[in-house]
Order: sequence, then structure tokens, then C-alpha cells
Amino acid sequence: MLDIIFAELIIAAIITFFVGKKIASIIAGFISILPLFALIDWANNFGFKTISFGIERQMNISVAGITLHLGITPLSWFFALMILPLFPLIMLYSYSFFKENDGFYPFMLFAFASTFGILLSKDMLSLFLFWEIMSWSSFLLVYRSRDKEAIISYLIFSVFSAFAILFGLMILWHENFSLLLSDIGRINGIYGFIAIASLIIGFSVKSVLMPLHAWAPFVYSKSDEPFVAFLSGGLSKLGYYGMFLFLFTLNGVKILQNYTPNVAWNYLLAVVGSLSAFVATMLAIMQDDLRKLLAYSSIGQLGYIAIGFGIGTPLAITGALFQAFNHAFFKAVLFLAAGAVAYRTGKWKISELGGLAYRMPLTFLAALFAIFALAAIPITSGFAAKWLLYEAAIQQKYVFIAPLMLIAGVGAFLYSFRILYGVFLGENRYPDVKEAPKSMIAAMFILMLPLIIFVVFPGYMLDLMKPALSNSGIESIAHTKFAIETSLAKYNSMAVLITLIAAMVPAFIIYKARKHRITSFEDNYLAGEPYEFHNPSMHAAHNFYKPLKGVVLPYFEPGATYYFEKIYKGIGILSNGIRRIYTGFVQDYAIYVVIFLLAVMGWLIWM
Amino acid sequence: MDVMGIAIKVALLTAYAVIGTCVGLLFMGIGRKIIARVHNRVGPPFYQNFIDVAKLLSKKTNISHGWIFDLALLFSISGILLTLLFLPIGGVQLLSMEGDAFLVLYLLAIPALGFALGAGASGNPNAGVGVMRALVMMLSYELPFIITLIALMIYYDTTSLATIVRMQSINGVKSWAITMPPFMLAAFAADMALQGMLMEQPFDIPVAPHEIASGPMVEFGGKYLGSLMLYKAIALVAETTLFVDLFLGGGVVAHGNFAFVINFIVWLALIFLLFILSILIAASFPRFRIEQAFGFYWKYEAIIAAISLIWVYILVIK
Amino acid sequence: MVVHPVLLIAIPLIAAFIIPLAKKYGFAIAAGAMAFNMGYAIGMFSYIYSHGKIYEMIAGFKPPVGIFLAVDALSAMLALLINLFAFINFIAIGKEWNYKFSMLYLLAIAGSTGIVLTGDIFNMFIFFEITAVASYALIAGKKDEKAIEGAIKYMVLGSIASIFILMGIALIYSQLKTLNIYDIAARISSMDEKIKWASFALLLTGIGVEAEIFPLNGWVPAAYQGASSGVASLLSFGPSKAAIYAIARIMMVIFPFHATYEIALYVGVVTLVIGELAAFMQEDVKRMLAYSSIGQMGLILIAFSLASQNIQNALIAAFFLIISHASAKSSLFLLSRSPSMGGAACKYTGIVGVLSIIGMPPLAGFWGKWYLMLAAINEKLWLVIMLVFFAGIVEAGYFARYLHKSMGNESKLNLRYKVAMVVMVSFTILLGLLPIAYKMASLPLWGW
Repeated sequence: MLDIIFAELIIAAIITFFVGKKIASIIAGFISILPLFALIDWANNFGFKTISFGIERQMNISVAGITLHLGITPLSWFFALMILPLFPLIMLYSYSFFKENDGFYPFMLFAFASTFGILLSKDMLSLFLFWEIMSWSSFLLVYRSRDKEAIISYLIFSVFSAFAILFGLMILWHENFSLLLSDIGRINGIYGFIAIASLIIGFSVKSVLMPLHAWAPFVYSKSDEPFVAFLSGGLSKLGYYGMFLFLFTLNGVKILQNYTPNVAWNYLLAVVGSLSAFVATMLAIMQDDLRKLLAYSSIGQLGYIAIGFGIGTPLAITGALFQAFNHAFFKAVLFLAAGAVAYRTGKWKISELGGLAYRMPLTFLAALFAIFALAAIPITSGFAAKWLLYEAAIQQKYVFIAPLMLIAGVGAFLYSFRILYGVFLGENRYPDVKEAPKSMIAAMFILMLPLIIFVVFPGYMLDLMKPALSNSGIESIAHTKFAIETSLAKYNSMAVLITLIAAMVPAFIIYKARKHRITSFEDNYLAGEPYEFHNPSMHAAHNFYKPLKGVVLPYFEPGATYYFEKIYKGIGILSNGIRRIYTGFVQDYAIYVVIFLLAVMGWLIWM
Repeated sequence: MDVMGIAIKVALLTAYAVIGTCVGLLFMGIGRKIIARVHNRVGPPFYQNFIDVAKLLSKKTNISHGWIFDLALLFSISGILLTLLFLPIGGVQLLSMEGDAFLVLYLLAIPALGFALGAGASGNPNAGVGVMRALVMMLSYELPFIITLIALMIYYDTTSLATIVRMQSINGVKSWAITMPPFMLAAFAADMALQGMLMEQPFDIPVAPHEIASGPMVEFGGKYLGSLMLYKAIALVAETTLFVDLFLGGGVVAHGNFAFVINFIVWLALIFLLFILSILIAASFPRFRIEQAFGFYWKYEAIIAAISLIWVYILVIK
Repeated sequence: MVVHPVLLIAIPLIAAFIIPLAKKYGFAIAAGAMAFNMGYAIGMFSYIYSHGKIYEMIAGFKPPVGIFLAVDALSAMLALLINLFAFINFIAIGKEWNYKFSMLYLLAIAGSTGIVLTGDIFNMFIFFEITAVASYALIAGKKDEKAIEGAIKYMVLGSIASIFILMGIALIYSQLKTLNIYDIAARISSMDEKIKWASFALLLTGIGVEAEIFPLNGWVPAAYQGASSGVASLLSFGPSKAAIYAIARIMMVIFPFHATYEIALYVGVVTLVIGELAAFMQEDVKRMLAYSSIGQMGLILIAFSLASQNIQNALIAAFFLIISHASAKSSLFLLSRSPSMGGAACKYTGIVGVLSIIGMPPLAGFWGKWYLMLAAINEKLWLVIMLVFFAGIVEAGYFARYLHKSMGNESKLNLRYKVAMVVMVSFTILLGLLPIAYKMASLPLWGW
């Protein structure tokens, strides 16, 4: 069955090269549901009673003389649960997003199939193989953007990440002489250390951890929205999947500690994560391009997952996985909503948008809800995740990380409101815009469901990740259906929700007690200035956080991108220098030949 | 929990919601009076705010700008009541065992966000600018506040406000956090943050009546403005109570019979004092510019808070 | 069935001499000869695939006059590759030129095939000469300034190279009185130490010029830039592959010493890094591809040089790298005729070619790099691994720039070009995907 699922994904990818857009999206959407059946089936393995379709848990494929070992593990099951459902919905969304099929669907399907493959990999070769397939298929999707920075930076960083991962895997292979991940024994000493460090660096490219995030603002802001939703929501989690796999399931933390008992390397990861969260949030506040804002927001929100892994206590890891799960959905919704806005208006700059909430109310609602989740407002499941991470930081008394995390959380309000106000509220600039097409709305609303389910029942989420945690020897934290309890405090989502509904009652009474009249927005108090005076724009969204910009931005200049550009230019200078060797004079070349001969001869004879 | 228990709990919560609202409105009236006196005016009577709210809520002309505008009304009152009920007040835990300080921080964002949504939906540029200022202020004062909060949390090894209050009330006033030198610094920083939270001068930048026509409130009238006044009143109580819970033992001084009454009175006195302090500061300082306020909080206040945090950290890890 | 590998050399040579007599049918004769060659190479390969290697001595003459052919799996593979691609390439470009071109093309192919098939170093020298002379003329065939410049540079260096090769052979012959590589290999220990090393240095330098290794590759950028795209394509799958194979053969059969492998490794690494770095800022597409070829030749040389310890992995790596480079680079050179990659065929050819060279699965280049890494890590060559990675990242940088720059909606290529390109580049996909490639690569390659 499993091989059939893979084969169908690949065949669908090839078919979608040749068919029209609508058929392609239907094929892609339906084919990509198949792995979800497998997920439901596999849930039986991990203590959940579900339907069984008889899909095997293990499978071996022979490719080029090497056997690929595929199979489901509790960890990959949990990650699959957050990544794979995105895909059919994104396909549903793309049903009306694209005008024609010009190479989007096949590569999306390749990316999806390889994601599935990465999650199922049980040996290094298949992990790396699928990782690379994922890299190039996503690169080809980036390539569609036709943006120079995006294309170059994405390919360079992908290759860098692939090589770092390959390097780590190779060392592990060399020490164990087995490609199976489960055979990775205790590698101590420098080799184990380098292997794990190199793997973490490799994975942190895809999980956009600073300072290896430099590609993300370009790529996220220039590629097609449905792809970016999958990139940010789904593919970025693969980096964290890899980190979790090697750090906790395969005992990477212990390998690191055995080499340097006195250095807490995981603390370093937490610091990097918190700086990532903080700096990216601050930069997100300053953006005017909606997609760049969301890109930096992704970097920031994904930083929290790294913090969780860095702190490394059960509490923190639970929080990190919860955050990963939430992020997959709310960021997908946000990117899709941004895409819907652009689909209708054709504008990306926040300062050029405005007033769409009444024109596109459903899109607005989806975006609003996703923003609640992003800003961790306790009426979505976004809060529980952040709460767990905060608790973990306080529990470990990490006094450097905790304030950064919390202030980044506050910063999230700022850029959230930037989106809400700049795009959806304020002056009604697009009176003729219609609501986004139905398939887009449907996709966004279905994607919101997990956020709602797990705010009411945060305990269920903890149940879902329990197999993954216990498989890695991490105990799961005390919880009931509605409440999570730590050694420091308790969070009862039901109490919050019920009280909020109850507190709505007086508000609603006040609201209903007197009638109101709805006026157009031109009927505003403008301190005596006529409305025409403000034409063409009464929208205050241009350069929104200007006071903050002058104060904050200088501290973040120059950014990581600057240094990467420096490196790029440095290599360029090196390259130009080396090209001088090729002087263009054949006499010089002849001399080189003679020198080479003498050198080789000398080396061989006298060495 | 039986039905009776739930009924009692609901009654208690309702009572505290009402008390909180009334205390808030009363304080606001007193505040106006005091400011007037400082300015050498007579000022309105102390119950003026009750009259204002009643008048506004019963107005017949109410102008809305659509359903998102109405969210301001719905979310501001419900959100702030929710926050209030998750705080221990005068030794009464209310719902504070069901959440903790982080939850309160985020619950405080619900009414603010609802308010901001409504303000934004009005389409008035002044409202947009006002909300922007409010959010920047929030970013500013939250940093020192968060750092002091973390100092307290790692000292008491809990994030629960109820536990913090309980641990501070073991020996009455002597065990209040503010009696310890590191927390004196922290309390100073937190009080400055409170000034910002209450949007009193010199940090009333978001409303700044003379610059941006009351900012976010510019389009609110009738029941909308009335609900916002209620929000402001309850927020005043909630925020000062948060401070009292963190540094002043929640006002808990007595145990045993009648402790409830005594603690309630102490709590009331403490939040009143805090409020008066803030009003006096407000009456004596002119408004900051937004960058100045940001710099003030992120440089001086944050450093003070950080010193206290490091101090506490050293105490704790010893 | 008895296979005569010599036909692979003889037929194109004969055809080349017939062409001037029947100028009108130049294209047809050449195409026919190449089609025959392709078919015969396939047949020979399948024979060797099932029966093992072939030695053939041309009757009646003894070396050095006669021709001794020693065909093992890898040389059969390379002969197949060269002839197959030559046919595809020739069909695409042959009609644009007159009969002289066809003749020269046939000579170059015959020479290249000869280099990989021969088991006699003097014959190897002769084939090098044939290939080189044909290549000079082919490059100069475009008749503009750049083409002439490239041809002259190639010619000067090529002449020096042939002198060196000849001197190397002479040194060996003076000591051992034989030219058969197996004879030499058997008696290499009886050679004077210094002369042995001197002859290796001379051969490496001489063949290295053809194999584009640093610093002997001064002619490469100019020649590739000057040559028409079809000829550049030919150069990248024909002579250069034959030459790198010749180095490998000489090194592994005659001089299988630690020092020689070490030298090859260093030279390979330097060539790789210099080539990739030089390509990094190159704006001219053909020149960039030429530098990139230099880098790839370095990579192949590294793979061969690792064969001393890990013969299995190293040779599989070399096999896949040669396949990947030949198929990807030749199609990219064909593509470089048009400044932009319009249309699906051009676009995906460019993309697949680039991805294969960068080493993305399931393309052949991936397996090349994977096995290369396996071989390298076994010997703990950390610095080499790091440099290969660095070169890979640099490669990604300029290829991404190339892909971006050549993005476009128009294509100047005609259908024949497109078909040739697609067919060539599909080999990197097919051989990466099909398990048979691995079997081919891991045949008992080296009979010696």
C-alpha cells in the first residue's frame, strides 16, 4: 500500500505536467489525501483507536543498489500530522488562485512526496535523498518567482544545508558503518560532536533560524502564496523534525554533552532561538511588504520552537512541538489570506491596501483568527504553546531567554495589528473588491479548525504528541482534557473560555440595550478638516511604526543579509582574482604547463 | 464541584466584577477631582463618572461603523472583566488558580486588541495613529514589566499569582516582596510600567487629546464610549491589583476571622494609593514624545529592572 | 558473437577519408558512420556487460606499429557514451556546416574512442594527436576572432602537451622496451625510480592539458567560448572525458602508487576549487560553463584518485560524475546557443542539467557526489570534503545566477537542437533513476 501511495504521488506529479490547472489541482488535492489515510491507520500503532486500512508500517525500496528503509515512527507520525494536512487544503486554495498550470503543481507534488518520504525515512540515505528532492522541488517553485535574490539565496542555502546534513550523516555512517538511523550508537568524542553540530546547522537553514534565515525574506516574499504557505507552514517543520530526531530520539544531546560536559550547547540553541524570535519580530514590525512581514514573523515564531528544543526539558519540548503544530496552521492561513488579498487587489504593500474587512469579511475573519493564534491570544491554541515555553524558561530560570521570548510575544501584537489595520481596516480603498473565491475561503476555514479544537482541548494535543515524546524517553507533562499543569502553575483553557463567554453577557446587554446606526466611514471626525483635504488617502498605514523605526532599527543594522552579501562579494573578489590566472596570453599558459611539470616531477622525485 | 459550589463561585465572581467596576469608576472620579485640585480648579464631583457612564449608555443616538466597530464594545468589556477575575483580589483567589501571570498578561491583550480593532474599523486616521502609539507604548512598558515579573517568578519559583500572593502573606507585611532590596528596584520599574499601562501622563501618548483628537476613541460615542469608560475603570483596578499582587502581597495582612474584610480594605487602600501616586505623577509631568517614552522604558527602566533580575538571580542560584 | 572494438575506430576513420570524395553526402556518411558506431558501442557494451573484458590485437603487426585494444567495462561505457552523444550532437548540428566539419567531427570521435579503448600508450598518443588536431580545426571552424583565438591557444598548449606525452612514452620505452600498458605495469618496478617518476609527470602534464586540469587548462575558457555551441558540447563529452579516463588508466594501471594518487588528489582538489571559483563571477555563459567544466573534471579526478583505497565507491562515483557531467554539460552547451531558455524543453533541460551538476537526486550527479563522499570519508579526508562542499556551494551560486539570467520566453533553438538537448539530458535522469546504472557502475571494472 505504501509503495502504491508513493507511486501515485509521483505519477500524479508527472501527470500534472500535462493537464490544465483545474484538473491538476483536483488531482493533486485528491492524491495528497491518500497519505492522510495512512496517518489515520498508523494512529492505531500509537494507542489511538481509529479505522484500519491495512497500510504497512515498514517498507523497503531498492534504488541504485541501496535499500531505502521507510517506516513510520511516533515522531514522524506527529510531524506528519501537522505537515501533511496542509497540502490538500493548499491545493483546494490554489484551485482558483492560479490562472493556468505552468509548472506549479508537479513540483508541489514532488515537494509533498519528498516531505512524506523524509518523514518516513529510517535510514540516512533515504533521509538525505528525500531531503534533496524536497530542496530542488522547492527550489523550482522558488524559481517561478523570477526574483534574483530569492533564486540565488535559496539555492545557495539549500545546497549549504544539504551539505551540512550530508557531512553529519557521513560521519555517523563512518563511525557506525550502518546507514540505518536506529543503528546510530553512542558516538563520543569529537566525531559525534561535529556530526550532531553539523546536522543541527544543516537543519536550521530550513527551519529559518537566525543567522541562517537570510534567504527567507526574499523567498517568502516573492514566491507564489500557496507554495509559501506550504514552505512556511510545512517544510520549515522538517528542519525541526530533523533537529528533534537527532537531538532527542537519537540522543544527540547526550553526544554533545559527553564531548564537552561543561558547555551547555543546548542553551546555545535556546539563545539563538530567542534572538531569532526577538530580532525577527522587531524587523517584522518595520516591514511594509505584507509578505516580508509574514516572512519575518515566520522566522520569529519558528524561533520559539528552537527555544523549546534548546531548553530541552519535557515541558519545553512539549511547548515546542505544540508551537510547531500551531504555526503550521496559522501561518498557512495567514499566507493564504495574504494571497487572497493580493488575488483580489494585486497589491502587496500594506500602505497601499486598506479597508478590505467589509469587502472580504470571511478572509478577514480567517486572518483575524490566525492572528489571534499568532499573537497567542488565549482564545486560540496559540496561547497554550507559548505558555508552555514560558513556563519552561522560568522553570529552568533562564533569565536571558525568558524576557526576549516575552517581549517578542508583545512585539507580535504590533505587527499583527499592522496587518489588521493596514490591510483590512481603515479607509475603504477598494469599494469594488469582491470576497475571495469560495475554494480559498473553504481552505482557510478548514485550516483554522485545529486551532479551535486545541484551544478547547489542549490536553488532546498533549496526548497526540505523547507517543513521540515517550519514544524519545521524554515524559509527558500532567494534563487533563482542558487543563495543563506544571510545577509552576496551571492553565485551564475551559475556565478562560467559559468566563469569556460569561463576561460577554454584560457586554452584549450593553450592546443590545440601545440601537445604533451604521454610517459610512466618510462620516468621520476630522477635527474640522474636510474629507476632500485628505484625498487621496486617509489611511494612516504608511510608515506605520515610524517612531519605533528610528529608535530600534539602527540597532539591527547591518543584518545577517549584509554579512552574507559580504561573503558572496568576497567570493566574487576571490573569483575575479582567480580569473586573473587566466591571463589570456598563451605564453603564460605554456609557462604554467612547464611549471606544473617541474613541480610534479620535483614532488615525485624528491618526496 | 456541586451545583451549590458553582453557584457560589458564580455569585462571587459576579460580585467582584461589579465591585471592580464600581471601584474603578469611583477612583476615576476621585482622580479627576485630585487633578483639578492640583491644577487649582474645583473639578467635578467624585461620582461624576457614574453619571457619565449612565448617560452615555442610555444615549439614543449611537453611531457605528460596522460590525468590526462593534467588536470594540463586546471585547473591551468582556476581556477586561475576564482579566480582573483571573487576579487574586485582597486574598480572594477568584479564578487565579486556573491560570497564571502569563495568562493575565495575554488576557490583558484581549480588550486592547478588541478596542484597537474597533478603532481601526472606524477608518479615522487619528484612531489608527492612536492605536499605533498605544501599541508602541505597550511594547515599551512591557519590557521592564516583564523583567520584574520574571524576577519575581524565579524568586518564588512559581508563575501563579495566587501562589505569589500566598508566599508573600506568610508573615504579613514583612514578607511582601517590596520589603526586599532587589524588589524595591523592581517595584520602581514596575510602577513606571504601571503608569504606562494606565495611560496616565507622562505616558498618555496614545490618547493625547491635543494632538490626535483622543486617538483611538475619536469615533466612539454613546454606548461605545460608555463601554470604553467602563473598560478604562475596570482596567485601572485590574492593573493596580496586578501590581499589588506582585509586590504588596495582594494586600493580604490578616489571617483568620474577619481576615477577608481586613484584606479587602487593605487591598482597596493599596490600589487607591497606587492610583493616587499615578495621578500625582500624571498631574505634574507633561507628555513624553513616543520615542522618548520608548527610550525611557527600554533604557533606564529596563536597566533598573535588569539589575533587580540579576540580583534576584544571584540570590536564587546561591 | 565476436566483437571487434577496432571497428569503432576504423569505421569513422574510413568514413572521414571517404567524405572528401563524396562532398555532397558528407553529412549522411558521417551520420551513418556515427549511427553504426553508436549501435556497435551499445553491442560491445552489452557484450562486455555479460562476458567481461576484451583484448584485441590487430592481426599481423606487433606494437608499436599494430594496435592493441584493451576494453574493460568502464572503457566500453565511455566509448558508448562518446559515440552515443556524438551521434545525437551531430544530428543536431551537422547540417549547419559543410563536409569538412563532418570529416573533422568523425576524426575527433574516432580519436576519442581510440583513447578510451587502446591498451597501448603509443597508440594513445596517436589518438590524442588525431583528436587534438581535429578539435583545433573544429573550434576554429566558426571563423570569428574568438574562435581563432581559442583554437590557437588550444593548439599551442596541445602541441606542448603532445611533446610531453611523447617524451613520457619515450622514457618508458627506453627503459622497458614495451608500450603495452599491461607489460609496463607488470615491469614498472624494474624501472629506474627517477625516470619512472619523470615519465609519470610528463604523461600527467601532457594528458592533463587535454583533461582540463589546473593549471594546464589555459586554453579551456577561450576555446569553449570561441567554439560554436555544438563543438563546445562535443569537447565536453568527447576529448575531455577520454583524456580524464586516460589519466585514470595510466595512473591506476601503470603507476598505482601512493604518491601518484596523492598528486592526482591534490591536483583534482585544486582544479575543482579554482574552476568553480573562476566560474563564480563569470558573466559570459559559455565561459562560465567552461570554468565549471574545469571544476567538474577536478571532481572526477578526485574520484579516481580515491580509488587506491576504496576502489568500489570511487569508481562508481567517477562513473556517475562522468555521466552527469557529460550529459548535463553537453546539453547546457547546446542550450547556450540561445541567450534565454524559452519553452518547456529548454527550461527543463537547463534546470535538470544544473541540478544534476549540483548533485540533486535522483539525477546521476547526486550518486556521483554521494559515492565520492563515501569514499572520501573512509579516508578521513576532511579538508577535501570541506573543499568539495565549498565548491558545491559556489557552484550553486553561479548556477542559480545562470538560471536567473537565462530565464526568458524566447528561444532561438531549432527543433533538432531541442531534441538533442533533451535526449542528452535525459541520460542523467535515467541513469540516476534506474538501478541498472548502479550495476553498470559496479561491474568488475578493472581487469588488471
